Amino acid sequence: MNKKLHSFSREPGPDSNLDLIPQLVQTSSAFLFEPERIVPFDVALNWQKDFQKTLMDQPFSPQAVWFLQHESCYTLGRGSDKKNLLFDVKNSPEPLYRIDRGGEVTHHAPGQIVGYCVLNLNLFKKDLFWYLRELEQVLIDVLGLLGLEGHRVNGLTGVWCQGCKVGSIGIGCKRWVTQHGFSLNVDCDLIGFERIIPCGLDKQKIGRLNDFIPDIKVCDVQPLVRESVKRRFKLKWENKKLISH
Amino acid sequence: MATHDIFMPALSSTMTEGKIVEWLKKPGDKVGRGESVLVVESDKADMDVESFHDGFLASIVMPAGSSAPVGETIGLIVESEDEIAAVKAKSPTPSEPVSADLEKSSPPVEKKVSLSDSSNRKTLTNEKTVVPQIPISPPQVFNDGRIVASPRAKKLASQMGVDLSTVRGTGPHGRIQAQDVQSANGQPISVPWIAESDSPASISTSSSQTEKSTESEKPPLPGKSFGSRGETIAFNTLQQAVNRNMEASLNIPCFRVGYSILTEELDSFYKKVKPNGVTMTALLAKAVGLTLARHPQVNAAFSSGGIAYPSEINVAIAVAMEDGGLITPVLKNADETALADLSRQWADLVKRARNKQLEPHEYSTGTFTLSNLGMFGVDRFDAILPPGTGAILAVGGSLPKVVASKDGSISIKKQMQVNLTADHRVIYGADGALFLKDLAYLIEKNPHSLSS
Repeated sequence: MNKKLHSFSREPGPDSNLDLIPQLVQTSSAFLFEPERIVPFDVALNWQKDFQKTLMDQPFSPQAVWFLQHESCYTLGRGSDKKNLLFDVKNSPEPLYRIDRGGEVTHHAPGQIVGYCVLNLNLFKKDLFWYLRELEQVLIDVLGLLGLEGHRVNGLTGVWCQGCKVGSIGIGCKRWVTQHGFSLNVDCDLIGFERIIPCGLDKQKIGRLNDFIPDIKVCDVQPLVRESVKRRFKLKWENKKLISH
Repeated sequence: MATHDIFMPALSSTMTEGKIVEWLKKPGDKVGRGESVLVVESDKADMDVESFHDGFLASIVMPAGSSAPVGETIGLIVESEDEIAAVKAKSPTPSEPVSADLEKSSPPVEKKVSLSDSSNRKTLTNEKTVVPQIPISPPQVFNDGRIVASPRAKKLASQMGVDLSTVRGTGPHGRIQAQDVQSANGQPISVPWIAESDSPASISTSSSQTEKSTESEKPPLPGKSFGSRGETIAFNTLQQAVNRNMEASLNIPCFRVGYSILTEELDSFYKKVKPNGVTMTALLAKAVGLTLARHPQVNAAFSSGGIAYPSEINVAIAVAMEDGGLITPVLKNADETALADLSRQWADLVKRARNKQLEPHEYSTGTFTLSNLGMFGVDRFDAILPPGTGAILAVGGSLPKVVASKDGSISIKKQMQVNLTADHRVIYGADGALFLKDLAYLIEKNPHSLSS
């Protein structure tokens, strides 16, 4: 692969007297995928696995980012507690996937932007706590661009707006190559969340952006999410023309 | 022949303990190098832990569902199938991987054993576990002169001053685990060690000679170490950053200039404002900030374009981190900020520095640095200039000294030695001297102006 994609030069900012976070990367490149159609969960999972495996074998191969919507489904993290499902597992009202990410059960549905990032944290910072906070900041920045105030809740992972959880985060990592990512409720049907205890948080109010900005659509928000991810992780999109799978 | 430990990995620089979500292999399973063996979880993040060796998973030391401190041995890999039995036989811990699953139909007695066992393992809690220790087939110590201990146990032992040869290991092969060191020392894990320069001057100041002598009857604590004899421990990220800065400072032509400052007035002023929550660190930062405002040259720094005069006076104060390295949280506009605000801000900065939650602008925007070792009773030292700034002030403890005054009389007064390290390209000897003289005047004659 083209090793020039990754610049390792380190240049301390003019104002910094103690450069504590080594900025290994100034920019790194990633493929950007924004499928127009709704994607089945397992299909997207396989896309991620392919990129993750290549990155583990060849650390300088390109990273990848997807922004897409899933058909209605539930996913369970590896350590998930089935108590958080308010229905019989064998009789799930919607497809149910047990997957290799952290966290409890969550729900996907059309109208929710799902962002998957297969990034090589060896190029950024080998720190999953840092990575989770950066993903939260991506969403907080998006809300900020929409004039909404997003915030974190101490001790929890995710992004809240006016007391309702609008963004969820769950990641998996192998040799510091990440998979999974975040979801942001834009104008999805929230009824699916009522059959679970999302993220194991009892009495957590789930919200969506069109509760605060009527008529807002995924197509309004997705470009902001794309730019926010690009800026936060200093990514350069590898493919100029957007590829849809 | 060889047994390889699988350690609890650090998923984050702030993580002290991780939870094992799932073992992907069973004892006896073949594992390849690079193959995932188990999954560790912290927060909403899962990490696959891989084997670094080809071989067989011989033993699961920490079952799924349990938590272990970072660096602790959680499983063992052997190179050949024959060794599995040997490791299993020597392993005193129940090697059934499902022992965490207490709901299983095991007889009640056994249940209790595994319960106390798993609670013993939660070594990072504040209180020592109260669960009575039910002896689990007393482990034999196989240390024929050689001490086998996990890296974390070694680190802890050297930090706590525990002699490993006196510790009974409860791990596989009688291996000494972190928890063994802690119980040998009779205490749970130590509180974070952070040398914030907050117990200043005044601690040693207020202790008169006699108090000092009673104090010195207590033997001083042993020094800190990150490894034990014969070991080489890799630098952490923070230490590496400090290394780079320290090396960069070698290219700066520095000089040092020192001054002795009488502190009785400052001490009595401190006693007055202390009830308002004002700390000595805030007093020193404010004194330095006000003096810098009158000596902009000492607040300036070298840049390729010439002498750069910052628009603000931001006093950074060095804080040592428990796990190595140091950080310099910044009190912004120290000259203009009220003492009580400085004190509050400092407490918050130190707290967040401990949790590694500082934003870059909170530790990288200092225009002048303070380093205080006074609380250790140090009388003087000199500091290395952080790149990007013009000067740093090393503050020693304030100690009673025999002082001769101008009229020839001799008295005992408390004195604090300060030592300025400055970049001679920007700050000249006379600049440094005048700055120190002014600082001394403020502290000796006019500490009340600090509250304005």
